[in-house]
Amino acid sequence: MTLTDTRSSSDTPPAAAGSVVPTALERVIGTGEHEAIGRTFILSSLALMAVSAAALAAGALRSLSNGGPLDVSDNVWNSALVGMVLMGAIPLLLGLAICLVPLQVGSKAIAFPRAAALSLWAWLVSAVIFAISLALDGGVGGSDLEASRLGMLSMGSMMVALSLGAVCVATTVLSHRPVGMSLARVPFFSWSMLVAAPIWILTFGSTTAHVFLGQISQANAAGLALRYEAGVAWFLRAPSVYMLAIPVLGISCDLVAQGCGRRIARYGTVQALIAMFGVFSFGAWTQTSGGRENILWIAFVALAAVPVLGLLGLIADTLRHQKPVVSPGLIGVLLAFLLLLGGMLAGVLEALNTSGSGTLFSFEAVGLGWAQSLFLLSAAFIGGLAALSAWSRVVLRASAPNAIALGAISAGLIGGGLLATVFFIQGLTGFGLNLSFYNVWVAVAAAVLALSALLGLMLVLVTSRGNAPKPADAGADGLTLEWAKAELSPEDQALLMSAIVASPYPMLDFRFAGEAVEEDN
Amino acid sequence: MSDTATLSPPEVVSPPESPEAAVAPTPALPPTMPRRRELIFGTVFVTAGVAMALLTLIGSYLATRDAAGAAWLADNQIALTQPNMQMLTLGMSVVTMQWAVWSICRDDRYHTYLAIGVTMLLGIAFVNQSTFLFKEAGIAITQPEGPLFYAVTLGHLAMVIAGLVFLLLMAFRTLGGQYSSRQPDGISAAAVFWYAGVALYAVIWFAVYIQK
Repeated sequence: MTLTDTRSSSDTPPAAAGSVVPTALERVIGTGEHEAIGRTFILSSLALMAVSAAALAAGALRSLSNGGPLDVSDNVWNSALVGMVLMGAIPLLLGLAICLVPLQVGSKAIAFPRAAALSLWAWLVSAVIFAISLALDGGVGGSDLEASRLGMLSMGSMMVALSLGAVCVATTVLSHRPVGMSLARVPFFSWSMLVAAPIWILTFGSTTAHVFLGQISQANAAGLALRYEAGVAWFLRAPSVYMLAIPVLGISCDLVAQGCGRRIARYGTVQALIAMFGVFSFGAWTQTSGGRENILWIAFVALAAVPVLGLLGLIADTLRHQKPVVSPGLIGVLLAFLLLLGGMLAGVLEALNTSGSGTLFSFEAVGLGWAQSLFLLSAAFIGGLAALSAWSRVVLRASAPNAIALGAISAGLIGGGLLATVFFIQGLTGFGLNLSFYNVWVAVAAAVLALSALLGLMLVLVTSRGNAPKPADAGADGLTLEWAKAELSPEDQALLMSAIVASPYPMLDFRFAGEAVEEDN
Repeated sequence: MSDTATLSPPEVVSPPESPEAAVAPTPALPPTMPRRRELIFGTVFVTAGVAMALLTLIGSYLATRDAAGAAWLADNQIALTQPNMQMLTLGMSVVTMQWAVWSICRDDRYHTYLAIGVTMLLGIAFVNQSTFLFKEAGIAITQPEGPLFYAVTLGHLAMVIAGLVFLLLMAFRTLGGQYSSRQPDGISAAAVFWYAGVALYAVIWFAVYIQK
């Protein structure tokens, strides 16, 4: 048996008497169980998000103490932003996906479990190395050559590791579905991950090539900084940066349906809109400045707003028909959508500015670009926190405390929103970032974002230590298969899993079938 | 059964209760059958990422060459004979690779082994030709063209070597009886990766060697 079809640890029989029982550490490191891998991803990403945001705050305070302007070409600024994306937002969403997607498609294991574990540990080791390289004046664009090489290499390793995790998730959606669950019946989060995974793989494939070039080109520190700016930094700009938000669309639709306890109308349309957003977030062709100043770029950036608005309309329609049960998760996804709309607005303004620069509009494109990136990064992070809170009984096996969840989401909104807004204002007004006021603003916003990540970490730790899963007889409200374990008795779970999936909401169908049987009796 | 459905999980065999049977070793669990097309889907995603990386390298190569103008590789001579032969070699390997897929789908194991063997032989020949080409061209890594030239060509060479390792693994698994007409995924997945490698070489052959 090889790596590709290893039985997951959840399928293995219990250890025989007298055999060596692995320690907790050995279990965590050696596990191929998708839930454990996903939880470790989530926990680590929240801790590293806090570190990245704290580094951003420290960078702004350093500029303030030096009396200089906010320097967005600084290595601390760029490394912190890369860190928030590759060490925070994307791993958080990927961890959720590794944990949830197999359950949503009714599979006991993720595809290629050992590859998923490799993805986790390779990413974690690379992220720690990246943080160390930043501390040694490296990261991306640092002035120390060896530390910068280390920073670039670890960034490339993170991208490869995250791509590997995305391969496992997407393959699970494609090949682990139960009988009857066609792709048109896949839950929205799984669908959004199926859309996001190829975009992440292609984008990171391209950026990794530049990292490779940087390593073999024998460039000095300044050359490496240029290589990052010319070959890698594009993935943090429109339209590539949209890829951060693809899973948020799926999370939003699933949680709104969950909150309302009803099916979302026009299921296929929602899937098509998510796929359309995915197409518009593919931006490997915009690596050169020429690629960002043409009609195709303008069309991509502006048209990406269409699926977001369409989804907002369908979500509003669902909420209009059924008053939802308000929960931190639902509030979180709506706030994430708000930030997403902020990102779309910045994108549309940037597109208008590019199409009519000097004649119709005179916005500051750099500021709008940063605003867009930060809005989308914040949306992805808050979407992840909202999903963590809403699916806590599935992911963490206990209900998350509402107060901590709301605190984390609110702090994320304030921190991320403030961080993006300063650049949005700068982009609209064209004021330079040479005021100390901007340094203070960014430092406070980044600190609040770090606090949000720490609260998220606390949420995971507190919830994981709780042992109060919702009892099976307390009433079920899950709509999709991932809730089966948390809400149904083992007999009902077996019955549900043996049934042919007939709609995108098998748990809802199962509940209605049960009620019908009771009425007949 | 739909194509996404899997075989039922293996039943756990209860330990024997009689004293004689108690000393007998516990029967091992039968291996689980991999889900249909899982390996193909996984390979397609990985291949897409690798292809994107190589295409980016080729794009960078072309952009830099365009900027350098006539000075590009002015001090080196790259005869076309070698790249042409390499293209021909890989082109033939496409036929033999498809022969392997065709054979395993018809449970013709003899021809499967033969086809995989010939494909690997052609792949090894390609690796050999590449090393010869590098020696003949004499491009130093320190000259301006060096890093990009070797990033593209060595990157692709690494892909071909990875394809050879993949093929070798799949050949061993076929020998072990894992693949047949019911489950040809491993050979098909290796074929997908191999075809992508050949297609990418076609791009390199035209962009790097023909259009020097």
